[in-house]
Order: sequence, then structure tokens, then C-alpha cells
Amino acid sequence: MAASAEEAAGSGPGSPSSARRRLSVISGHLRGSPWAPGREGPSPSPCKAQGAPAAPASGSIPKKRQELLKWNGWGYNDSKFIFNKKGQAEFTGRRYRLGGMVLPTFKEWIEKTFGASLEHKSTSRASLNVNDVPPSVVNEEFLRDLIATKISYSQDAEDRVFRGHGHCLHEIFALREGIFRRIPDIVVWPVCHEDVVKIVELACKHSLCIIPFGGGTSVSSALECPEEEKRTIVSLDTSQMNRILWIDEKNLTACVEAGIVGQDLEKQLAESGFCTGHEPDSMEFSSLGGWVATRASGMKKNIYGNIEDLVIHIKMVTPRGIVEKNCQVPRMSTGPDIHHFIMGSEGTLGVVTEVTIKIRPVPEYQKYGSVVFPNFERGVACLREVAKQRCAPASIRLVDNAQFQFGHALKPQVASIFTSFLDGLKKFYITKFKGFDPNVLCVATLLFEGDREKVLQHEKQVYDIATKFGGLAAGEDNGQRGYMLTFVIAYLRDLGLDYYIIGESFETSVPWDRVLDLCRNVKERIARECKEKGVQFAPFSTCRVTQTYDAGACVYFYFAFNYRGISDPIHVYEQIERAAREEILANGGSLSHHHGVGKLRKRWMKESISDVGLGMLRSVKEYVDPNNIFGNKNLL
Amino acid sequence: MAAAAAAAGRARRGAPVYSQKELTSKKRGEFEDILEERRMSSDLRYAMKCYAPVIYKGLSPCKPSAIKSAVLHSEQVQYVIRQLAKETGESSDIIQEAAMEILDEMGHSMQLGAVRFFAFTLSKIFKRLFQRVCVNEEGMQRLQQAIQEHPVVLLPSHRSYVDFLMLSYLLYTYDLALPVIAAGIDFLGMKIVGELLRRAGAFFMRRSFGGNRLYWAVFAEYVKTMLRNGYAPVEFFLEGTRSRTAKTLTPKFGLLSIVMEPFFKREVFDTYLVPISISYERILEESLYAYELLGVPKPKESTSGLLKARRILSDNFGTIHIYVGQPVSLRTLASGRINRCPYNLVPRHLPQKPSEDIQEFVSDVAYKMELLQIENMVLSPWVLAAAVLLQNLPAMDFELLIEKTLWLKGLTQTFGGFIEWPEEVYSCFSFLRDVFSDEFIFFPGISLKDFEEGCFLLTKCDAIQTTQQEIYPTDKGSVVISFLSAMFRPFLEGYQLIFRYLSKEAKAAFTEKQFIPGVRNFVFQLLEKGNTQCYEALSSDIQKNALAALVQLGAVKKKKMTNGFTYSINQEAVNKILDMFVFRNQLPRRNDTYPEEPPPREPPPASAAAAVQPRRLRSGAALCRVCGCLGPRVCGRCRRAAYCGPEHQALDWRRGHRRTCAQPGAADDLEDAVPDHNEFLFPEYEILIEPEEPESPADSSVDPDDEAAIDTSGNSDKQEELRATGSASEALESLDEETLEAMAKHETEDDKIFQKFKERIAAEPEQIIRYCRGGEGPIWVSGENVPEEKDIPNCSCGAKRIFEFQIMPQLLNHMKVDSLGESIDWGTLVVYTCANNCNEGNQYTEEFIWKQDFSAGSM
Repeated sequence: MAASAEEAAGSGPGSPSSARRRLSVISGHLRGSPWAPGREGPSPSPCKAQGAPAAPASGSIPKKRQELLKWNGWGYNDSKFIFNKKGQAEFTGRRYRLGGMVLPTFKEWIEKTFGASLEHKSTSRASLNVNDVPPSVVNEEFLRDLIATKISYSQDAEDRVFRGHGHCLHEIFALREGIFRRIPDIVVWPVCHEDVVKIVELACKHSLCIIPFGGGTSVSSALECPEEEKRTIVSLDTSQMNRILWIDEKNLTACVEAGIVGQDLEKQLAESGFCTGHEPDSMEFSSLGGWVATRASGMKKNIYGNIEDLVIHIKMVTPRGIVEKNCQVPRMSTGPDIHHFIMGSEGTLGVVTEVTIKIRPVPEYQKYGSVVFPNFERGVACLREVAKQRCAPASIRLVDNAQFQFGHALKPQVASIFTSFLDGLKKFYITKFKGFDPNVLCVATLLFEGDREKVLQHEKQVYDIATKFGGLAAGEDNGQRGYMLTFVIAYLRDLGLDYYIIGESFETSVPWDRVLDLCRNVKERIARECKEKGVQFAPFSTCRVTQTYDAGACVYFYFAFNYRGISDPIHVYEQIERAAREEILANGGSLSHHHGVGKLRKRWMKESISDVGLGMLRSVKEYVDPNNIFGNKNLL
Repeated sequence: MAAAAAAAGRARRGAPVYSQKELTSKKRGEFEDILEERRMSSDLRYAMKCYAPVIYKGLSPCKPSAIKSAVLHSEQVQYVIRQLAKETGESSDIIQEAAMEILDEMGHSMQLGAVRFFAFTLSKIFKRLFQRVCVNEEGMQRLQQAIQEHPVVLLPSHRSYVDFLMLSYLLYTYDLALPVIAAGIDFLGMKIVGELLRRAGAFFMRRSFGGNRLYWAVFAEYVKTMLRNGYAPVEFFLEGTRSRTAKTLTPKFGLLSIVMEPFFKREVFDTYLVPISISYERILEESLYAYELLGVPKPKESTSGLLKARRILSDNFGTIHIYVGQPVSLRTLASGRINRCPYNLVPRHLPQKPSEDIQEFVSDVAYKMELLQIENMVLSPWVLAAAVLLQNLPAMDFELLIEKTLWLKGLTQTFGGFIEWPEEVYSCFSFLRDVFSDEFIFFPGISLKDFEEGCFLLTKCDAIQTTQQEIYPTDKGSVVISFLSAMFRPFLEGYQLIFRYLSKEAKAAFTEKQFIPGVRNFVFQLLEKGNTQCYEALSSDIQKNALAALVQLGAVKKKKMTNGFTYSINQEAVNKILDMFVFRNQLPRRNDTYPEEPPPREPPPASAAAAVQPRRLRSGAALCRVCGCLGPRVCGRCRRAAYCGPEHQALDWRRGHRRTCAQPGAADDLEDAVPDHNEFLFPEYEILIEPEEPESPADSSVDPDDEAAIDTSGNSDKQEELRATGSASEALESLDEETLEAMAKHETEDDKIFQKFKERIAAEPEQIIRYCRGGEGPIWVSGENVPEEKDIPNCSCGAKRIFEFQIMPQLLNHMKVDSLGESIDWGTLVVYTCANNCNEGNQYTEEFIWKQDFSAGSM
């Protein structure tokens, strides 16, 4: 969900990676050489497990995640929004560009938008109470067999809790309240493909339930353990399978273990001058295997493509055996593509262990940009035209007025690069001279990538189109802040939760001609549902067109409200979210563009892919996993 | 399988239209008469008022022409044009032109000027035609809310052409966005009016265009565009045409499915359907419908037809009730009913035949809307009475009619019918309290307090429940109530019998001595026949009290005779002040009707004087032989005698025209056949106006000496009358103390004023009018019933009304309506008119008249 936009921008000194490394050292874990395999060149099956049974994590995220990450919220422990002694909002930590900065207008925005008062606080439990956690129930024989494999495991409550949830609102809310229904009984850390094969075999032998765990950033209840599951639940954490196995510069491919998280993958490839260009907003934490399992999409898909365009080869361990293709070719006509059974299977069929992925040389030049439009309608029309001419930059996003204002509320005190285009002369020019209404206008943020000359040329082309739709170039800073928002907003939810504000994001894809109607109707539906459900203060709902395609667009919504006075906010929230999804479907939108189905959106699957379609998927599941070893109950 | 299908069927149909609870305890808001304000203030000002209507929140205002061009260039229309071009081989330009023509024929061009024109004329017309136009205010408030939120479709019931304009008029009055109205193309056949309607927001649809794809596409897109933009509420009639029988017609689905489509395609978030019930007491087109139903074809709409329809302006069409129903959210109706898939899989601009479940849904909605219309139709007492009468032709007893009507009312209410009954407990209470003023002890003048106390006591013993608006008898209270009403019944029935006696049997004047045996006899006969069980009416106590109450109420006059009192039934109590109207019409000296100079003073030659009544105006228009109004009809036989209508023709026929009609060359006789004084015409006189001689100083203050002197002079009518009655009366028998006192009182106060009245007119005893605009004021005939300043309402223009002239009782004498007890009567009529002389052109303005009677005591 959260993207590290500043990293993509190639931030300068004081890079967060060094800080992260320091932290890792402090946490007492041995550090391997993450990019060593890449340098060593292709090595077919380099399993570390043989030599060092409890091989330490080499990535940015430690094996003991709680040492670096929040146990009851999003992201790093040291990074969060707070209200300082002066009552001003501030973002802590030094990982992000916003770190340590005071946001003077944010408090007012939050009070005005949500009717929230800083005096009314709802606090989370300070730490995890181990007694709240259901005990680990593990078969002795299995444990004996597991120990024999020398695969690292843990029955520690914290470890188990950490792998029993994703980042849906209700999951975080339950953590804060200390309510745990069903969590994994044991966590295992395979370090290579063979380890996974062993674990799956053991699971079949002892009739266990395996739930694969990658980055833990799911927002579809996919990691929630089914309450009625009686078998031992094994959480298979892939985080220790995080090596780049080889890089093939001739074919521009890399074979990578599936547990690697996005930031590590890019960092390590960058050492060799390559990148995948796959940058979902959650890339700091989400894993390659997770991307494959959910059909992820990246911000810069216009250049690099979505995960299904990037993947060349997948190796997956299933109860039935290992599934993979016999060659690494760009395309083959051999019946339905088996990759498409794997991509989006959401952990119901097996564990993805190794992926061969396309790589590209790191781009020479990057440039942000932004365009203001007099209103959302014109903005959408412009994006449509850009898509039609197939000249979309690496990323192009259109935020509506509410989100634009929201971005403004996050303006730091120290101006520097955050100087707003609405300041001074520019503000005058746009509102008075051009006649833009600050309460109606909307902004498109742009990111260009490539060699310098082409970028500039490309930039001109896009700005020319924008001009035709009444757009007005509004500077790089503004564009950059737009991208910053996407990672910041995930941290913001934790702040909101402290002040009786709950919120969530959801997304869809929709044909071009229905974009406007869908955005308007969904927002209206949310407002109406909130009113009906007794929400006291009008909700904050905002959307952005976040991806463009030839035939349509991806629309991303944020939605939050002040729940004071409501006895069961989560239930109310879920009802409203469901209504919003109904509205999306009624407006010709899809069930999901990239978040996946999980258990949260299962109810609409039949409607989405028809009875027969669902039957096809079921029959695959029945063949591959007849005993439902991968019993997370997602999707079907 | 079949059971499952049936269950699914039920589920699809959704909730039933009525639930048990709704049926009995449906509460509907209060009605407001919108004409009331129109009668109080200037129509012109109303028509020119600042009109800033409430509009849809998402509306970006645009001109009617912009809508047309948007429609023409819409993907939907362009697609059909391309398709047609491909199929017919015709160039798409030509088809586009055809589409443009269709649009021009169809499209409205709403202009505020036309709207204001209608606002003005409709005010005038509605005021003439209807007594009241009642609207539920609550509904209007809901509508106001709805118009801002989502596109609105108004679905009125259709009984009359009046429906068309009534809603626009209503929305204008309440400052709401004016609707665009789907009207039949035949209106365009009307010269001028068609264009006027177009400017008032009507758009025109051909009656049938099933086969014409281009027309359908253009029309549908036109309606949808206006709806989507929230340009204006769209109004059309589900019934398609006016119901000739006042029964709701089965709905038409075409337009309804058009207006629903933007929602199905989610081009709008929601659409409100507003069922509106317009109930008439009497429909303008009633006789026309009868002809049509008998097979006479519907006349083509034409302007001359409309002008002919003006004839009806002289009729009274009672009250219209407009009930604006709860806006129904299409989204709510559709929730769970519509499979969204079909609309998601086809581009939205392609014409798409609605799927079966959509068709079914549209049909369900149509029926539901019509049921909602029916549910909120208002039933007035007249409608119920008419229904009863129809089953009892040719005639029925009045009492029975009342009884049956009340029974029907109860039945209707049980069935959940919507009844507007002119019923108010307090006024009934107050009336009964007055009637029984001599029977029971009430402290004078605190009627309201008594009422409240009664309610309080009844509430205390749980007999009734009171809310802000209404009083309900409770179930528990039936014991109390039936006991109490049984206690009062003898009195009520006894009084009723006595009143019946008076109205049927009693002579014009009677004494108490005659009265009591008379009543007794009357009641006795009824008792014997078993027509009543009320033995209490035989009691002289009740009889006397009833008579006293009637005197008190002014229904019976009590005259002092030398030997007692006689009573006379006061017919003039019927001639209440409400029945008198005064109108002012100020013609300027230079006008179209009369010459500028007054006619010569000397009387016209004798021959001309014979023609008391000109039969024709100079323009040639014939005048009615009986009343002298315009007489467009002639006697079918002689073709000479003209009448205003069949009533007067029949009258004249009976009175003598039957004899003269057949005689050839009896033209001159025709004049003679109209007597100087008939039942319809008062005799005519010339009024001579002269200034009054200056008052003698003695007049200004009447001292007892003068009074005595005049009293003895005996030259006044009053004295003569007193003498006459005095001689006629028998004996001064039962002069009780009370009457003596009353007499004494009246002589000291009232007679003084009457004396003064007499003195003033003594100089010119024949005077009939005293004119002194804004002057010293009228001379009163009695001290009773003299208006105070607050009793005289201000003119509609806001100015005060001042005294202009008074009409003297002598006029009655000249008009030969002086038979006591039968004719209209007055002491004096005082006319107050606008101090500002406000002038509404060539029109009659109602002014205020005050009637003062000779008080009973002073007679």
C-alpha cells in the first residue's frame, strides 16, 4: 500500500537504507551479503539451508518483524504521525523525506474534514498481551519431523500474531483492541525451494494447513486464518528466501527467490545497473511471491508492465508436486497459460518459490511533473486522450479536489522542495487570471522516465495534450508531493485510529466512459450510506485515477469517517465498504484491479466471473490441492 | 423446482404496496390553499415576482438550444444516424437534418416571460374557476428537497387539461424549478397557444412513433439529456392521456422506461419519482368527456376550441386538491431487482432492448406509482354524496342522503381512503354552546376556554386523546362518551324537533301562546307515528328555552306587542352578511363603453321610454328577455326571443312567451311580455343625486327634549309602525320583568340613535343612498352591530378602506322587496372602499360591505 516514492526518485545522501542496515545490526542479526548471488552469476540451486539451519535474514525486513515494524499498525516502528507538544502534526523518524517535519496546517484540516477533536483519543493497547493469544496447537510428530528438516520455526505468540493478519481496517482494529480469534499455530522460515518442498510434504503427511506469508501487506483479509480451521495452521514465511539467484543480462531476466521484498529487489538489481520497474505502493514491504499470488500492479506499469507482463517463469510447490514451464521464453502457445492459474491464486494452490522476471537497465533520467485542470471532468478527458495516443508517462495520476486539498494539508513548515504552486504569484495566476476555482480544480501528477532527451520530448507531448483540456503545468514539486501521499496515507490511518477516525482504501478498474459516473456515484453512495448508518460527520471520500489503459482506467478511493457515537464502528464500516463495492459493480467497475479478492470480496466472485468460470477455478484447486492443504479459503 | 420459482417470483415482486398498518393509520399532512394568497394580493406583482428557483445541485445552467445541440451531437443519436445512413444509403447529413427538424418540432424553449404570462393569466382563471386549490405543504417541502438532490420525475394523475399547467403554476408559486412537460403533439396544432406552451416548458411528442427509430432515438435522448443534467424536473402522465371516467388508466411504459434508463446505466446516482394526485371536485371537461364516451370524436385541439372553452369560466368547479407524494427513490426500488450485467457489457450509447426483468420492473414501478396516485386522491363530501345519489336516482330524501353519505365516509375511511372533511370540533362545539345557551349555564364569552376544559376533562378520564392537530375518541372512552351523549340526546333531539316545527309548520308570526301548543301538537303527532322517541320535546321548559335561544341567535324575532310578544321567524338570518358582495369598477371618463359626456338631463321622448329594456346592444348582440344579460340563445320556434340560457327561456315560456311565440308579427308584443316587475328583475329608476342641506344645529346633539318633541310629532315610519302593531296586538299579558328591562334598556340607548337616523333623513325621506366618500361616516340605524375600525379589512393593495356610501332601507321599498319576514332586509348597508383608489384596470374589485339590521328590540 505504501510506496517509497522518494527512493524511486533516487534520493540523495542520508539514504534510509543505511539507517535500516544499522537497525538490522542492532537487532543482533547476522548480515549476509544480499547481492552476492547476483554477482556470482547464475547458480542453479544454491540452498543455504544445508550449511546454516537458522540462516539469518539478509533483507531489509528482519525475521523477527516486530523488531522493526509496528505490531499494531503500518510500517516502521520509528515512523509515525504524532501531535507534538505544541499541538502540531509531525512525522517522526528519518526514513522518509517528511521525517522530522512539522505539518502546521494538518491539524486544522483533520478537524475540519472529520469534525474530530484532539481531545478525544482512543488509544491502542501499548503492547501485545501474550495471554490474549490462542495457544499454539502443534502435533508432536510433525514437530519432530520438522526439527529433523532443520528448517527454522517458531511457536512464539508475537511471531504467530504478526503472521495472522494483513492490513485491512478490521484486522488492525482487532490488534489494537487485543482480540485474536484464530492465528497460525506455528511459523516456519524456509530458506530455499527445497525447504518449501519438505514443508509441503510434511503438511500432506500430517494433514496440516499451510498459509503462505510474504510481506504481510494484504488488504483483502487473505492472511486471516479461517476461524473454523481445526488443523494445525502453519504460516510459511517466505521472507528468508530472498536472494537473486542469477541475472541474465543477455536476455534481461533475473531469477529471484519469491520472498524478496520490493525495496531489496530493486536495491540489489540496482547494484548491477538494473531494475524491474515494478513499484507497487507497498514495495517497501511486499514480496515478489505476493505480487505473483495477487496479480499485483506497479505504479510505473506504463513502461514496465504489470506483474503478468513481467513474469517469464514461475516455480510453485503444490501438494500435487512442482509446477513450472520447461523453458524461459517470451511467449508460448501451449494451451492456456499455466502462469495464469498461479497468478492471482492467492495462496490457495501452493507456494511460489522462484520467479524469473524481466529486468531493464536503470533509467538515465527521471522527472516529476504536474498539471492542474479546472475540474475533474476535464482531467479525466485529458487522461483518456493521453491513453488514446499511447503516450502515457511512466506514471500519470489524476487526484480529485479533495485529495489535492489533503495533499496541501500535509505541506511541511520547512518549505524547500515542498513550496506550493498555490503560493504567491502562481496562486494568483491560477485562481484569478485563469479562473480556476480552488475548491473544484484537480491535479494530475506525472512521472517521466528514460533518457533525458526522450523524457523532455515526451513531457512536451503530454503537456500539449493537457493544454487542450484546459490544463496548466503546475510544477515538479506538486507532482512529487502527490506521489509522497501514497505512502504517507498508510501511516495516517494509524493516527486517525487514535482519534476515532477509521478509513481504508479500495480500488477498481473501469472502462473510460464510465469513469466519471463511477467516481461520482461511489462517493455519493458512501455519503448516503454514512448518513443512513448514523455517521455524525460527513465522511471524507476521495478518489484518483491512478492507472490508464487503452480501454479504461484504474480508480483508487480513500474513504474515512469519524466514528464517535457509533457503537460498532467496524461493522458499520464494513457495511459501507460493501455498499461502495456494490456501487462499483453496478457502475461497470471490476471487483478488483490489483488488491485481489481474498476473503473480503469473495461474495462477488460468482457475479464477476460467472458460475462456470468459478467452476473452472474450483476444478483446478481440486486437482492441485484435493485435501485443501493450502486452506486459507481465499478467492473461491 | 416450481415452488422455488414461485418463491423467487414473490421475492422479485418485493414488498407489497400496502401493509396492514399503513392502511388504517395513514397520516397525511395539512393542505394549504394557494389561491387564498392570490385573492389577497396583486396577481401582477405575483407574476413579476423575483423568481429564483431551487434547482438540482449538480446543474450547470444552459439554454434550451444548448440542450438541443447536445442531443443532436450525442453518441446515441449519432449512432442511430450512422446506422440509418448505412441501411438506407441516404447521406448522414440528410438524416442529421431530419433529426434537427424532429428536435425543433419537439423541443421546448422555456422563457421566463412566458412563465410570467401564465402565472398571471392562470391566477385569474383559477380564481374564477375554483374555490380553492389546496396543496399539501409537506409534500412541497419534500419536493424541494428532492429537486436539489437528484433528478426528479413528476408523475401527476391526468384528469383534465388543467393538470398541465397546474403543476407548473404550483412550482412557480413555491419557487421551485419549473418542469419540462411531455405534451401530445396535437397541442402544436393550436395557434399561438402551442408556442406559448412550448415557452412555458412543454415539449411535444408524437402519439405513435414505434417504427421511427430516428424519432425514438432523438426523443429518448432529449428526455434523458434533460434528466441527466438535472436541467429541470421532467413531468409526464403515466396514463398517457386524460382519463375520461376519472378512473385511473392503465399505465404506459415508454416514457417511464426512458427516464429510468439513466439510472440503470448509472449516468445518474438516483432518480426521484414523485407521484402526484390531483383530485377535482368537478372536472372542466365533464360534458365533453360524456360526448366522447358516447362516440362523438375528440375535437382536435384548437385555439378557437379553447376560446369556446372560456364559457366555463362562469361556472364553479369547486376545489382542487393536489397531493404531492413522497418522492420515491428509483435506486431503492431497484435495489436487489436489477441484474446490472446487461448494462455493463454493452457500450452505454447503443440502443438496447430492455431485458425481460427490466421490462417487468418498469411495469411494476408504473403500477406502483399509479397506486400511490390513487391512494392519495382526495375525496370530498360532494364526491361521496354524488356517489350515493347516483345509486338513488331519480331522487332521495335529504336526511337519507346525509345519513348515507356519512356511512360512506366511514366506509371509505375504513378502506384507507383519503377524505377531506370540512369538520372542526371546536366550531361544532361553539355552535351547540350557543344553541343551548338558555338550557345550560355557560359563562358568557369564554367558549374556547370551555372547550379546552371539556377536552381536558375527557382526556383525564381517558375518553379521548388529543394531539396537536386532532382529537381521537379512545376505545376505553366509549363508555364515558356513550353515557354523556345519551345524557344530551333528549335536548339535542328536542331542539331539533322544535326547529323542524318552526321551519315547517309555524306561521310567519306567532305568539308564545300559539307556539307551545303548536310544538306540542307537532311532536305529539310524530310520537304517535313513531317517527321520534323524544318525549322530552313535549316539555314546555325545553320549548321555551329553545325559543329563547333562537331569539338570542337572531333566528327568531321577538316583537313587543301591547298585550305580549309575538315572534316571527327571521328569514333574514339566512341572508347573512356573507351573501352580500360589493364590487367596484372605476371607469375612467374616457372609456370604450360610454360616451365622455353625460346624457342629456331631459327625459327621452315617450316612444323611446316604452322600450324599457333594449333587446339589442348597438353592436347587435341580443340580450336576454328575462335578465338583460347577453343572450346568445334564441327561442327555437320564433327565432326572435333571445335568452341567456335555458333556465330563463323556460321561465319566460311559462310566463307567457308560449302564447305570443306562435303569433306572427308579434315582435312588439315581445316587449310587453316582459312585465315591469318580475321575479328576476328589480324595477328600474333613475337616481338623482343632490347635496344634503346643511345640518341644523339641533341635529348634532340630540337632547331629551328634542327627542320627546319628535317622538310626539309622529311623522316617522317607526312611530306609525309601533302604533299599528300596538293596535293589532291583543293584550299586554305576560310582561315579565326581564322583557321590561330589555325594553327599558333599548329605549334609553338604541332609540336615541334611531331617532337621530330619522332626523337626518327627514329632510329627504325618499333617499336611498347617502354618498360621502371618506367623510363623516354613515348614519347608523341602531347602536348594535356598529363596526369598529378593526372590523373593516384593508384593501388587497394594502391600503385602508374608508367609508364611501351607504344604502338606505328605503331602497327596499322601491324595489318592492318589503314584505316582512320574506324578503331580504337591512337597516343600512355601508360600503367601504379602498382609500388609495387602487385600480386594476377594466375590472371589478371586491370591496367591503357592512350590513346593519334594525335590532330586534328596537322594532
